[in-house]
Amino acid sequence: MILHPAIIALLVSSALMSALVLYSSWYGVLILRHWDLGSGSGLQLDLERRTYLISTVLAYVFGFQLISLFLLIYTADNLCSLFTGAMCAAGTFNVNGYGYPLLLLKILNFILAGLWLIVNHADNRAYDYPLIRKKYAMLLGLTPLIVLEAVLQFLYFQGLRPDVITSCCGSLFSVNSPSVAGDLAALPAAPMKAVFAVSMAATILLGIRVAARGRGGYLFAVAAGLSFLVGIASVLSFLSIAVYELPTHHCPFCFLQKEYGYIGYLVYITLLGGAVAGMGEGLLMPFRGIASLAGIIPPLQKRLAVLSLVFYSSFTLLSIVILQRSNLVQ
Amino acid sequence: MTMIELRDIRKVFHAGKSYALTAVDGVSLSLDARKVTVLRGPSGSGKTTLLSLVGCMARPSEGRIMLGDREITSLPERFLTEIRRTTFGFIFQQFNLVKGISALENVMLPAYPLGEPHAGLRKRARELMDLFGILPRESSRAEWLSGGEAQRTAIARALINDPPVIIADEPTAHLDTKLSREFMDIIARLKAAQKTVIIASHDPLVYESAVIDRVVTMRDGKLAAEQQ
Repeated sequence: MILHPAIIALLVSSALMSALVLYSSWYGVLILRHWDLGSGSGLQLDLERRTYLISTVLAYVFGFQLISLFLLIYTADNLCSLFTGAMCAAGTFNVNGYGYPLLLLKILNFILAGLWLIVNHADNRAYDYPLIRKKYAMLLGLTPLIVLEAVLQFLYFQGLRPDVITSCCGSLFSVNSPSVAGDLAALPAAPMKAVFAVSMAATILLGIRVAARGRGGYLFAVAAGLSFLVGIASVLSFLSIAVYELPTHHCPFCFLQKEYGYIGYLVYITLLGGAVAGMGEGLLMPFRGIASLAGIIPPLQKRLAVLSLVFYSSFTLLSIVILQRSNLVQ
Repeated sequence: MTMIELRDIRKVFHAGKSYALTAVDGVSLSLDARKVTVLRGPSGSGKTTLLSLVGCMARPSEGRIMLGDREITSLPERFLTEIRRTTFGFIFQQFNLVKGISALENVMLPAYPLGEPHAGLRKRARELMDLFGILPRESSRAEWLSGGEAQRTAIARALINDPPVIIADEPTAHLDTKLSREFMDIIARLKAAQKTVIIASHDPLVYESAVIDRVVTMRDGKLAAEQQ
């Protein structure tokens, strides 16, 4: 293991997050089994008080979960100079077999943590805990993933050895690479641009409809989720080569570096933000009929739709600027 | 009409510890609207704890409290704050006026979070102070007020948000006989103004007053006796 300060910080924070999530899950189990708002028993009143603590703790834990994705990527990018062959985070993640599974799990946990925070926010606004069972059931589903992430992260960092020769991003994200990344990089630019344009336009139009009329929430959520995948594919297919002005360089990590003005962070923040806000809007749809949430969910959904719109519009605008400014002829 | 209903209320401090203290033990009680009720009992009988539970300043360890048709013990803190602000006016044993600011500012203080225009709020506060004969002392700092003036300032403060329920904890504990009688005169005026008043007191001047509708006696955290 390399005792880099960022690695130690990430390991300690993930261990703390796992411990807090496990502690919260224990109360989640008690709530799922014993919660009864009609009862005045000591256990019920204790659970009511305890849920404030748990909710506050988890808001911070999952808030940090969102940030830690970017901290991990920044750390991997920062460490690339230690490994022969690595030129950016792509090579660092490839040093051992845990790197990419960890990254994918962290992206999944980012989305799920964001969705949990949205449900928790809605529940906390009502007076009668209408979503308490649902949010703790969600938590019990999320807890193994958070713990698995901590384990994977430990195994990944524990297996980092400077004497390992790794692959550079040029080969990992090459059109000839026999992998999903290679397949995505090989997507032809022109049709992919069309898919990108249709996907973003549809998401933005559906978002405007939801924000203006409060209708089409499920459709918008699906569109927001699909646009996230299209956005990632677009980065690999044509946005990356436009940034680097190299027709063969499809790396989704190099543009996170200072050399490119850290523009990659802006791309991924807008994409992930748009996806979480948009899918969160849809996740709240089934709860609109709950009496105590009737005045809370519609305005919250509207705010989420506007937020998702802002993120996806920013991503689209950013992509257009990248393509416009690029000297690469595609 | 029942305004407040307590169902099997129990309050334990330091629960689970060897030094746990049961301050209120299985109290069920209905308090009628627009009536004056006194909780009587010796020191340590649970009067103040019960008042703080009714006024949403503490949560019971067991049991439920209904305010009208709404159950309030399960409410998240933000809703309790709103209920405290709009439903209850508190008069404390030590009056708890904020030192360093004027009597008028003390009266206006509970209304500040509501964001009411200052001019209207100030006018209302001055009217209340005038009602209790303390307007000439409006600009005096809290620490310069006499016992009676401090008490009346505390009453005006309790009324600034026009709450339907007034809660008073040992309000005459630091007053002489004359001031205590004045206080009961004010309670009579509040009752005439359709307020529900709940007083914790072991002062005979209070629980033997003609204005009192009901006396509930407490001992060792339980209801001991009752007289109408």
